[in-house]
Amino acid sequence: MLRAFTHLIIGWLLVALVGGMADVLGLSLMLPATSAVVLAHAAFSRERELVWGLAVAVALGYIEDLHQGAPVGVLSLSFAISFLVLHWAAGRIAVRGWSMRALVSLMAVALIDTITVTLLFVLADPLSIRSEALWPMLLGLRWHALATVLVAPPVWSLLQRTFTVFRLDAQTPSELHLDVR
Amino acid sequence: MAVSFHSVRNGALVVILLGIPIMMLRASAKEPHEMGAFDRAIRRIGAPLEAAVSYSFGMLGGFFERWVLQARLQDSNEDLAGENRELKQQMRDLVQLEEENAQLRRALQMRDRVPEDMIPAERVGVDQSPFFRVINIRIDRGNSIAEPGMAVLAPDGVVGRIDKSFDDYSDVMLITDARSKIAVEVARNHAQGILEGNSEDSCIVDVSKDYEVQPGDIVQTSGVDELFPKGHPVGQVVAIEQLVGDQQRLRIVPSVRFDRIDVVWVVLAAAPEPDPRAEQVEPLPQSRGLVPIR
Repeated sequence: MLRAFTHLIIGWLLVALVGGMADVLGLSLMLPATSAVVLAHAAFSRERELVWGLAVAVALGYIEDLHQGAPVGVLSLSFAISFLVLHWAAGRIAVRGWSMRALVSLMAVALIDTITVTLLFVLADPLSIRSEALWPMLLGLRWHALATVLVAPPVWSLLQRTFTVFRLDAQTPSELHLDVR
Repeated sequence: MAVSFHSVRNGALVVILLGIPIMMLRASAKEPHEMGAFDRAIRRIGAPLEAAVSYSFGMLGGFFERWVLQARLQDSNEDLAGENRELKQQMRDLVQLEEENAQLRRALQMRDRVPEDMIPAERVGVDQSPFFRVINIRIDRGNSIAEPGMAVLAPDGVVGRIDKSFDDYSDVMLITDARSKIAVEVARNHAQGILEGNSEDSCIVDVSKDYEVQPGDIVQTSGVDELFPKGHPVGQVVAIEQLVGDQQRLRIVPSVRFDRIDVVWVVLAAAPEPDPRAEQVEPLPQSRGLVPIR
């Protein structure tokens, strides 16, 4: 429970940090989805904690809904579904090293964006969204994904470091399996 | 295959957790502008947090810039370079002051120019989403002044309208958002249409082919939707596409640079109706009793 709470607090702080930095640096397009990295970390660091991880996903999605001004529920649902897929993948992929962390984060952001776009297309009428306007957004998503890949290793390291400091079992089971000592 | 209690319980919890966002989505489709007490509480914590981070980063950036500058100056003549640095700093302050002055002057001019009842608001958050074009503003004038649907203007033109509001803070849906729809007209020939958000920096509007429209034409609010006051610039036509049928599609670039606005105006109420008797000179009532001495 403490791990889930830590994931949630760090995720929320990172969302606020990205918003603040975007304001100071004048960025609008290439903003990273730090929540996607937190979600990937939650899925890959404790493969057995499905329920707590899913609760973190729903809560993080809800915070993103409010921060991004999205209709409440859209990102919560896409985060939840993405978490289930990542959790399933966590049992099959060992994450070790910066490149794998970046790759897994890319997978997370791609999943979240794909599911969000799908939800927006499906719910365009009830949410009063002009579906034609969603197409140009798809082009911008590559920058979103690239920015996320670039921030994934430091964010992942920050999470690992925090869990080590607070003795919350920082080393992932995947890493433990591969640690030949 | 035996099913354990543990896996049944986990399955039930997963279904419940997945049900929460679906319920929220259902509620938000029914009442898109409604914010619950919990939503407001979360935003009340989140919005100042973001503003504080913004402020801290600004301070940190300023400190870092000054430190780097100072380190370089130590390599050269310290006196001369120190004087130079002070002068540069003063220049920077002056340019900043000048810019602030110009912005405030334009804001004040706009206040005088526009007859509607408006209130200034400060931008506190930026558009963060790849899907939605929303900025956060803060009205430092007590609670619950702004309401969903209210128009938001800047000196350069229309910004958008308030989507959600809580305490001092409001989400402004920009005119480029996919959900945005406002009534507009081409200023030159009054060809009317509904402007819809299209991408990060463009909108589209379909107007009748009966009107001749050229690139460069100014598009302004028509006031038909009773949300936006009439005659405020929205953008400029940059491309025209002939559609099948009797419509043509105009691509509009907004007149407002959304990443550069600091102060916006929220329209609280429409302008009062002009007094039809204002021009008429009414005869003074005849005096009775005392008359002036001539």
